[in-house]
Amino acid sequence: MSTSNESIQERKTVDAVSASEDPSRKRPVEAGLNLKPSGRVQAPISLDHKTGDRTVGQFTVDDAVFACRDVNVFYGSKHALRNVNIDVARKQVLAMIGPSGCGKSTFLRCLNRMNDTVPGARVTGTIKLDGTDIQGADQDVVRLRARVGMVFQKPNPFPKSIYDNVAYGPRIHGITRSRADLDEIVCTSLQRAGLWDEVKDRLTKPGTGLSGGQQQRLCIARAIAISPEVILMDEPCSALDPIATARVEDLIEVLRESYAIVIVTHSMQQAARVSQRTAYFHMGELIEVGETDRVFTNPRHRLTEDYITGRFG
Amino acid sequence: MLEGHISRAFDGALASFHIRVVEMGGLVLDQVREAAAAYTEWVVAPAQHVLEREAEVNEYNSRLNDEQLLLIARRQPVAGDLRAIIAITNVVAELERAGDEAKKIARTVIAQGSRPGPATSRDVRHLGSLAVTLLRTALESFDRLDVALAAEVIAQDKELDEEYAAGLRRLMTRAMEDPRQVSVALEAAFALKSLERIGDHARNLARHVQSIGGDHHVLPETAMTPSGTSNRA
Repeated sequence: MSTSNESIQERKTVDAVSASEDPSRKRPVEAGLNLKPSGRVQAPISLDHKTGDRTVGQFTVDDAVFACRDVNVFYGSKHALRNVNIDVARKQVLAMIGPSGCGKSTFLRCLNRMNDTVPGARVTGTIKLDGTDIQGADQDVVRLRARVGMVFQKPNPFPKSIYDNVAYGPRIHGITRSRADLDEIVCTSLQRAGLWDEVKDRLTKPGTGLSGGQQQRLCIARAIAISPEVILMDEPCSALDPIATARVEDLIEVLRESYAIVIVTHSMQQAARVSQRTAYFHMGELIEVGETDRVFTNPRHRLTEDYITGRFG
Repeated sequence: MLEGHISRAFDGALASFHIRVVEMGGLVLDQVREAAAAYTEWVVAPAQHVLEREAEVNEYNSRLNDEQLLLIARRQPVAGDLRAIIAITNVVAELERAGDEAKKIARTVIAQGSRPGPATSRDVRHLGSLAVTLLRTALESFDRLDVALAAEVIAQDKELDEEYAAGLRRLMTRAMEDPRQVSVALEAAFALKSLERIGDHARNLARHVQSIGGDHHVLPETAMTPSGTSNRA
């Protein structure tokens, strides 16, 4: 990655110069990345929206928990994700949208190394969590997944009691010393997931006996029980009715006070409702990333506009 | 700009919304033309006609506002679609206000106070024809969502403003020369002001056209080649 780091440095310098010429800028933003040596390099369009390899918009943030640079994913010979550069900010929701097969879930799975489980999958580039590359061979994947929790499309509670579903993580990660500690964690996690009042009288009943929406919130309680830094959500509401969806969305709003959340969703309205930043993927490339408020009112890339206004395809 | 959705029903709904606003624009243009003519010829019948048709303008206004609500509620538009729907609704508001100005001129004629002299009539006729041209051009730019034409309207409105100022000065000179002309001059000043306002509404309308029609994107779709297309799943 030394080559790309050099070009990042180069671009930073160029950017600082041009930024200083514009008095309206408050601070020089980190440069967009031009990782290709020649030919495909895009000239900066203006100061406040950079082109990455092709990405339109500001892909860096001030307080990044994840910093991903030049991420490529191959499934065998298929190049599933190309030169993705993006930061994930603390205490913010990043929504990833795009048509099926665009790479958004592939990218999400890079963030807790879920692609390790896919035969023939290869991930290149750097994905830094708090400054440390999670791709390193010496990285403890189990520890990583405790820091980066995940909630899936279909609620997948363990075939155990509600209590044990939430207590499972703290137990295996050795977070608690006593039963009282564990009770405390289970109780707070269920409360934070907005499920406590509904299940407090039946903690010993199987988690699978809950409704779909409750199961999903149970999975969220399970994810937050081990105090992760980031929660990944892969279409967490696609199997839920509008009311259960609203509850989960409300929960996301509360959770973002404590965690960074990355959510993949097919519902544009959901992305607009819950996120502060939105990233649009198209055929394995990150096309545009920016403030959700802007992306849904004034997207800068034609492809983003076409997708969110229903003109895609 | 308004078409190309996967849902052709949405294309249809947007197109029909747009067309109905163009229709309303035609009606308002006719109102302005008729009111200005009624003033310069000082005849009551066409002025009366303007007042009667004002109800139609208001009807368009309220129906199109309902239509906007339905489009937003049913389609939940975003980005360019949302901006277009809001801009079209703003166009409706401009047209409604231009219609109000035509009504004000018509009322002056119906009241049949002091008849304006030939010089005053000439000033009103001149400003009226400028205002009508401006509104017509603005409507054409809205009909075709022609951003370049909209820019012309915005430039031409300055000319109308200057003519308005010049017309007012001439009115004042005539009133000072002959104090019996003061009441005529006052009424004529209101008529000129209405025509100048109609020009402003045409200019605002053109600005809304610019917000719908402009290309707000920094990169053309061709920026996606070549690797993006070659790897389509």
